[in-house]
Amino acid sequence: MSASAQIYEQYSGAKGPEWLLRIGDPAAAPILFVPPLFEEMNRTRALIVATMRALAAGGHCCWLPDLTGTGESLAALCDATWEDWRHDVTAAARHVASSGGSPAIAAVRGGCLLDDAAEGASRWRFAPVPGASLARDLDRASLGGGAEWAGYHDASAALRQALAAATPAGVAPLRTLRLATDAGAADGKVEGPALWRRSEPGNSAELAAALARDITDWRQTCAAS
Amino acid sequence: MALTDAADVEATLRAVLADVLGLDPVRVARFDEATELFGALPEFDSLAVAGLLTELEERLGILIEDHEVDAEMMASFGSLLTFARAKSLR
Repeated sequence: MSASAQIYEQYSGAKGPEWLLRIGDPAAAPILFVPPLFEEMNRTRALIVATMRALAAGGHCCWLPDLTGTGESLAALCDATWEDWRHDVTAAARHVASSGGSPAIAAVRGGCLLDDAAEGASRWRFAPVPGASLARDLDRASLGGGAEWAGYHDASAALRQALAAATPAGVAPLRTLRLATDAGAADGKVEGPALWRRSEPGNSAELAAALARDITDWRQTCAAS
Repeated sequence: MALTDAADVEATLRAVLADVLGLDPVRVARFDEATELFGALPEFDSLAVAGLLTELEERLGILIEDHEVDAEMMASFGSLLTFARAKSLR
């Protein structure tokens, strides 16, 4: 099996079985990705999967879960709760740990609001954002004549409120990486496009390679300490 | 972190337009005050509005109220620049 083979596994999600995309040899060092939320997930999917492929080629194994009511989940988004998503991240980490040992956690954007729910050896965050910013972004999607909540009008009021109240948790060991154009506090900065802002999904091979390098270096730092 | 220099605000606005709309920075560098944006650029559609506003807020250190946003404010590079300067230079 080549390192870049894509396999779908199942984990026990909050409302039933959910899919996890796996890229890499499960005997390799495990990394669990926690995806961004709502529209940002679609806009960054290609970037995250390209990063996972680069990591797999470098001797890691990466998993990316669907959260309840998202992606190919059988559950409806209107039934999904914030607690479901935290459960899913916990359960996905356990699934990974059962085959490859305690994973490193790599969270992107809104995923950084959920990554503390996973038991992991270390945490890495890319462009973390307060839930209030994401909620305001979704509220604004209709300002230019677009769909309510960027088309996610099914999301319950409770889920919207929980998102708006969420902030990235204090965890350790943690490395935070941001784009060079982002003024927020970070341990490192990287050049590249803010793909989660684009109205059309895009990708950047250079950014994916840079993210994979940064994660690899961080894992080595954690393993050495 | 509010910017204090009018040239910084303009450079930031150009960078945000290139990043959010996925435009070539060389093309954005040629925008002048009369360049039409919202409703004229196919890349600048309703889906792009929220991303543009939020990215401007984050990079300029400002807060944009929903009632301040209308088609006129986003109509041209000049109108958007006037808005961004008024919000960030005070």
